Order: sequence, then structure tokens, then C-alpha cells
Amino acid sequence: MATNWQTTLTKRQAEGRQQRLWTAPIPMEKAAGWLVLLPVAFFFVYPLWKLVILSVKTEAGLGLGIFSELLADARTWSAVYHSLTAAVLSTVLALVIGVSLAWLCAYTDIRFKGAIHVMAMLPLLIPSYVMTLAWTQMAGPAGVLNRFASWLMGFPVELWNVYGLDGIIVVMGLSHYPLVYMLTLSVLYRIPKELEWAARSSGASSRNVLRQVTLPLALPGIASGGLLAFISGLDNFGIPAFLGIPAGIPVLSTLIYEQVIGFGPSAFGRASVLSILLGIIALGGTGLQWLLLRKSRVDQTSAEDRSVRYTLGKKRFLAEGAVGLFLLITSFLPLLSMASTAFIKAYGLPFLAENLTWKHFLFVLRDHAGTREALGNSLMLAGLTGALCLVVGTLFAYWRVQRPHKLGKMLEGAVSLPYALPGMVVGLAMILTWMEPIPGWQPGIYGTVWMILIAYVTRFFILQVKSSTVSILQVGREVEEAARISGGKLWTRWGRILLPLYAPGMLTGLFLVMLTAFTELTISSLLWSSGSQTIGVVIFGFEQAGSTTLSTALSTLIVTAILILLAIGGLWKRYWQRRVEG
Amino acid sequence: MNEARVMGVSKRFGEVVALHRIDLHIGKGEFVALLGPSGCGKTTLLRLLAGFESPSSGEIWLNQELVADQDRRMPPEQRRIGMVFQSFALWPHLTVYENVAFPLRHQQHVPEEYKQNPRARVAQMLEMVGLGGMEKRYPSQLSGGQKQRVALARAIVFNPTLLLMDEPLSSLDAELRIQMRKEIQHIHRELGTSIVYVTHDQSEALAMADKIIVMRGGRVEQVGTPHEIYYEPQSPFVAKFVGRANFVKGSWADSSTFLLEREGQTSLPVRVSQDLTPFQREQVLPVRPDQIRLHPWQEGQDGVKGRVQHVQFQGRELLYSIQVGEEEWEVSTDIATRFAYGDQVAVELVV
Repeated sequence: MATNWQTTLTKRQAEGRQQRLWTAPIPMEKAAGWLVLLPVAFFFVYPLWKLVILSVKTEAGLGLGIFSELLADARTWSAVYHSLTAAVLSTVLALVIGVSLAWLCAYTDIRFKGAIHVMAMLPLLIPSYVMTLAWTQMAGPAGVLNRFASWLMGFPVELWNVYGLDGIIVVMGLSHYPLVYMLTLSVLYRIPKELEWAARSSGASSRNVLRQVTLPLALPGIASGGLLAFISGLDNFGIPAFLGIPAGIPVLSTLIYEQVIGFGPSAFGRASVLSILLGIIALGGTGLQWLLLRKSRVDQTSAEDRSVRYTLGKKRFLAEGAVGLFLLITSFLPLLSMASTAFIKAYGLPFLAENLTWKHFLFVLRDHAGTREALGNSLMLAGLTGALCLVVGTLFAYWRVQRPHKLGKMLEGAVSLPYALPGMVVGLAMILTWMEPIPGWQPGIYGTVWMILIAYVTRFFILQVKSSTVSILQVGREVEEAARISGGKLWTRWGRILLPLYAPGMLTGLFLVMLTAFTELTISSLLWSSGSQTIGVVIFGFEQAGSTTLSTALSTLIVTAILILLAIGGLWKRYWQRRVEG
Repeated sequence: MNEARVMGVSKRFGEVVALHRIDLHIGKGEFVALLGPSGCGKTTLLRLLAGFESPSSGEIWLNQELVADQDRRMPPEQRRIGMVFQSFALWPHLTVYENVAFPLRHQQHVPEEYKQNPRARVAQMLEMVGLGGMEKRYPSQLSGGQKQRVALARAIVFNPTLLLMDEPLSSLDAELRIQMRKEIQHIHRELGTSIVYVTHDQSEALAMADKIIVMRGGRVEQVGTPHEIYYEPQSPFVAKFVGRANFVKGSWADSSTFLLEREGQTSLPVRVSQDLTPFQREQVLPVRPDQIRLHPWQEGQDGVKGRVQHVQFQGRELLYSIQVGEEEWEVSTDIATRFAYGDQVAVELVV
């Protein structure tokens, strides 16, 4: 028997070598590595390299001439000061609001948690320049707040004017507290209840438990959220553009914008030096955040515990009232003020039935060619950016999860760079790269909408990668292996098993990328030209031209569209969870 | 038919050598258990058989066909192997029926009658694993034990060449594990498929396998029937890992006489009936907890004196830790012999 077997072996071996269709696994793996490495280097790293090169290019060759010139300029330091002040103070505000709200939602028996959660997420979904516009309608010099106060007193009073550094800080803080809220919430859920019980049974008062157990454990999450708010503060262009430029308060992002738009002889060189300044501050923040998250002592894999840990008793009404009032004042009232302006026949008229009209909505939707074009552009950009990121980002995430080695980590860092850096910096790097990507080759896409598409895909790619990664990790490797061992070929595996299971993360990413791209302002404000303007650019343009009724009408339409999309997304998610999780 | 052969297979992950030149043969209809502690390479070996990994050197043959060597590998989807995963790996968005019918649609060489009438075949399989009529349920509506049965049905529905099981019972509770052992034995008898079963639980391996392969540090430590592995361990590792043996110090007079070392006394000869040659060099005698008897100690008696350090009541038996000289021996006895903490006992070896 044994010899018989052996002869069959050798015979088969001899005839079989050539015709087998098997995979040769090792070279494939290497090829895939290069296939990922080269495009990542070209699309994500090379533009930043171009930026650095331009900043040290002077007439006399390479040198730090522009640096020393700009560092001696008082305007630079004023912008740095305003940028840092706005970012730091808005972060403090975001921390106070975010942590308190997260603690209330995670640990107490406060009601309406679902509604609070959705409301707290709104500032992330509604673009900050729209929110800023809304605030100018509520707390601008002729806003609802000051008009109401004047009417009460019987003579003109100005309670508060949102234009200025204080306004920037407040609106920024309110735009970025959801970041703190989200990260803190997830950490708080993951701190085991038993740790607090152990402290209580060792004799600690509830105040001491909070101070010595909960807060120290939650600190990495809180600090990380704070740093994210800080970086977003540096990154933000819409808020200082709407509130700072009219008040003569420059920050780094608006200063770069003015340099590029100003188009002087050394405009790009000066802008790139400022970008590097801004980029270094932002990357410092990102690095610090990464270190903190690594040090986090709360096990990310430990299960979330969403049970109530503190009963507020009689104070519950108070807490619910405070949260409700806060959300009303910071989200609902500004948006309502904005909507009311959009219905007013002429800016400044009182809000009375005879002064109301639909004509601004009709004008922006029907009569204004620029808006129609922008709507088309933004929809197209959102769709294409979403689709490209969905496909390539999910494949990248899949590749990355399968290979948890150094190369994967490095490349993930590279693709997240354009998102970690301020949008203004990325926009400038894109201009510098795509005017002439390779010396001697000018593809002629600068100034077209395709330029913006490339910039969006580069910048928002990581959002899709992260969302898809969550699902891919959740599904796990064995599910795919089970399909392979059951005979499923590549297309069957992806079509029948993987895609349906990755769908939640993929669609969350798609939603995020499309929404962000649809309402993007910073990059498109640098890259647009006639015919390639986006919605953000049009609203910004209306506002700069003083057409407040038009900018508010368009913004109101955008907010309505976002809310409808959000509702659809929520319903779909609920349906999916019921089906898969039972 | 239905056999598998692993010839001189090594597997390296970077610097780490997971398997060292492994040879093994899985005969037709044989139930082979790969037994060893975590990190011993048993799961790697299983994944090599399945085709998820390529060997760094050596060859793997299924049914007289070379399926993998260091250069190339036949992908898992072409191997016609059934596999049960530790985490069940059911597809949560498909019903029980769709899960079990998947291999019928996609595997190669599925018998024509199953392809023609998948409903009947799936129903037959579900009946066999005790889940008749549950076709329309989703995995999230099943208990852990039911999920495991669906995973089993999915792995065997197409008459696989080989059935691989990767710690299939480790995520079930104790009672269910015993129940599932019987079902797996039943299925093995019914289908006659060769099975490779990976486990770190010696009692699972002893209970079900025709052949046990004990692995350690990427090497095969011993191959044998459950009886051989249990009663004739070839190394201290096997003796310790399978059956928690105590290593009693002393010296070997010849292959059937062990001279037990005693503190302050002459050594005591013990008759050994099994073949324990590998332990002669180690100067120890492996003694299982159930091979030791305890008696009340009488002063002036010539025997081995011990002292009870711990007693654990286990229902059917009692587990003692007995201090003998410097050593602590694990002893299990029936509940008829009861001693308390601190009692002095005479220890008798029945090897």
C-alpha cells in the first residue's frame, strides 16, 4: 500500500508541475505592497514635499529668506497669536461642554439620551460656516438677540456682537465640543463599573471616586478630544473668515487665503511658509494626541457598559432642563434666526407676515446661474469623491487589516496626513503639485473642478479608511476564511459575504465623506475658479458681497437637506441592526 | 482516498519558527487530534492543511495530490475541505439554510443529487445535528450550541475530503461540551470522513480521537492512540500535559523497578508494569493522581509519609495535595477515604 501510494505520488508530481493554477503567494504579496506604496507616496506625501521645497526657494537658490522676512512681519505674529488664542480658548470651552455632556449621558439617569446625542452631533454635520452664518443672524449687530434687547429696553442696545475674537472663540467651541463629547463618551462607557464600586467599597465618597478613579482613567480620552478640538480650531477657515475678516482679525488660515488670492509675485512662497508654520503647530497637536491615545489605560476592546451609574433624583429635572436649554440656544435658535432671515423680503425688515417671501429660495435655486452650477459641482464632487473613497478606501482598509506590519502602519500614517493638516495647507500643496506634477508635464487641471476632486479624495480618504476598518475588524478574518474553505471564489466572497457585512462601516464612511465634500469650503475657496465653484464658495461669496438674504436662503436649504439625509441614514441603520444583530 | 499527508513541513513567520519539519499521516476515516498548549503550532498546522498558509518548506498532500509546497499552494476554495472554526464564523446576514447551502453551490465536485435538491440535503444535515426545521432562522437567533451545530452542518454538507475542527467546543459551556462530543463522534461514525481536530483539552482528545498527536514548541512530541498517550507517555511533557502526572524522584534499578527516594530512610522499590523507558534517564517516575492511594499513617510504619496540605471536594472524588519531603504530590481518591488538612498519611504508589 505504502509503495503504491509513493508511486502515484511521484507520477502526479512529474506531470502536474506545469498546469497547476495555484497562487504563488509570496511575490503577489510583495507586488501588492508596491502597488499600494507608490500611489500613496505620489498622492499623499509628494504634495507636502512640494510645499516644503517652495518655502525654501528664493531667487538665490535654496534658503530661509522668506521665513526670516515673514517672521519679522508683525502681521504674521498677530495671526499666530489670534490662531493660538482662538484654538486654545475654544478648546477650553469645548472641553467644559463636551465632558459635562458626556458624563451626564454616559453615567446618569437623564432621559432623552438618544435625542441629546443626535443634537450634540449636529455641529459636526452642519458645516461650521453655515453655523457661523446662523450665529451672525442671531447675535450680529442687527441680529435677533440685539433687536430683541433693544425692543425690550425701548432704545438701541448691543448685548453681544458675535463679530470679533470672542465670537470666533464661542462659535468654534460650540462647533468642536462634539469631538470631545464623542471621545469622552466612548472612554466613559469602557471604564468598568467595578472599578468605581471597588473605590466606593474602599470608603471613597462619590466626589473622590470621580476625582481619583473616573477622571484619571478618562483623561487620555478627554485630552485626546481636546487636542482634536484644538487642531480643528487651527484648521478652521469658515469661522474666522465670516467673523474675523470683517472685524479685521487675521488668523493663520485666513492670512494664507489672502496671500494666495492676493496673487503677488511671492504670494505662493509666502503662503507656503505660513502653511508650514500652521502645519507644524497642527502636527504637533496630532502627535501629542497619538501619544496620549497610546498611553490610554482603558482597554479599547473591553465591552461598553451603558447602564446607569448615578441616579440624579430630584436634580434630574434640573439637568434635563439645562441640557435642553443649552441645545436650544446653541443649535436651534441660531438656525431658526438664519431661516427667518431667509424669508425676509429685504434684510433689516422686521419679521412680520407682510414682509415674508419665498423669492430668495426661488432665486438661488432657479435664477442664479452660479448657484445652480455650484449645486451641480458640489453634488458631482460629493458623489465622485464618495465613490472613489468608498472603493479604494475600503480596499486599502482591507489590505491594512490583513497585514498589521510596519509598512501598513507607515502608509496609514501617510494617508492620514492630508486630513491631519489644516485644509488651507492641503489646498495650497495641491495647487503647487497639480499645476505641474512632474517637471515638464502640465495636465491642465489647475482651475478645473477635477483639481478639487483630487484634493477632496486626498483629504477625505482617511475618513473612509477608518470607517471601513471598523467594520472589517468587527467582522473578523474567520468569516472570510469560512467562505473560502466552503469553496467561495473571490467574487462570491466579496459579493455574497464581505460586502454585505462591511456595508455598515462602508456606508457610514460614504455618508461622512459625501457630506463633508458636499459642504466643503476651505480647499475649494483656494482652488475654485469661474465654472468650478462649490456651494461653500457661493455662500461665502454671497456673504462677502453682503447678500445676506441669499446666503441664509441657500444655507437653510443645505441644513434641511442634511437633516433629511440624517433621518434616512438613521432609519436604514436601525433596519440593518434589527436584521443582523437581532 | 480521503487521506492527508504532511511531509517535512516547516513554517516560519519572520524570525519565529512555528513548525519544525513535521511529518504526519491522516488515514482514511481516521479521527486525529492535535493536542498541545497554546503556541505549540497546532493551529498553524491546521491552517496549512486548510490552505490559509503556505509551508516554508516541505509538502502537503491531499488524496494523493500535492496541494502545497514552498513555491505554490492550492487555495483553500479548491481543496474541498470542511472546517469548523473556533468562533463558529457563521455569516450573520444569511439564514441557517443559506449558511448550510453555501458550500453546495460553491464547492467543487459536489454530488449531483445534492446540487439538484439542496433543500433536501440541508434538511437532512440539520436533522443530523438536531436542528431540524430551523432553516429560516438567522444566526443571531440561535444559542451558542445551536450555532456550533450549524457550523458543523455547513462543514459536512458537501461530503468533504477532510474535516478540520479548530477548538470547536472551547466557546461552549461545560455541559454542552460533553453533549457536543457525543454528536461529533456520532457524525464521524455516520460519515466516515477523516477528521483533524485541534484542541488544548486533553480530555476531548482522549475521548474522541483514534490517534492523538501531542505537539510542543512546533514539534511533534508523541503520536499514539489515546491509551498509549495516557498510559505510556514518552516524555515528561506528555506525562504532565495529558493527565497531570507527578514526577517522583528516585532512580531506576532496571526497566521495571523504580527506587523511590525517601528522606532519611532507605529508598523504597516500586514495581512498574508499563513501559516507561524514556523516564529512566530523567531519574523520575511519572505517577498520575489516580495512581496514588492514601492510608492513615501508623507510627513506626515502613512506607512513604506525607501530610495533607489541601483538600478539595469534587463530588465524585477528592483532590488532595500531599506534602512528601520537599515535593507536593497531587492525589485524587474516591470519597470513601477522607482526610483533613494537616493529617499524616501513608502514600502508596500503584503504577
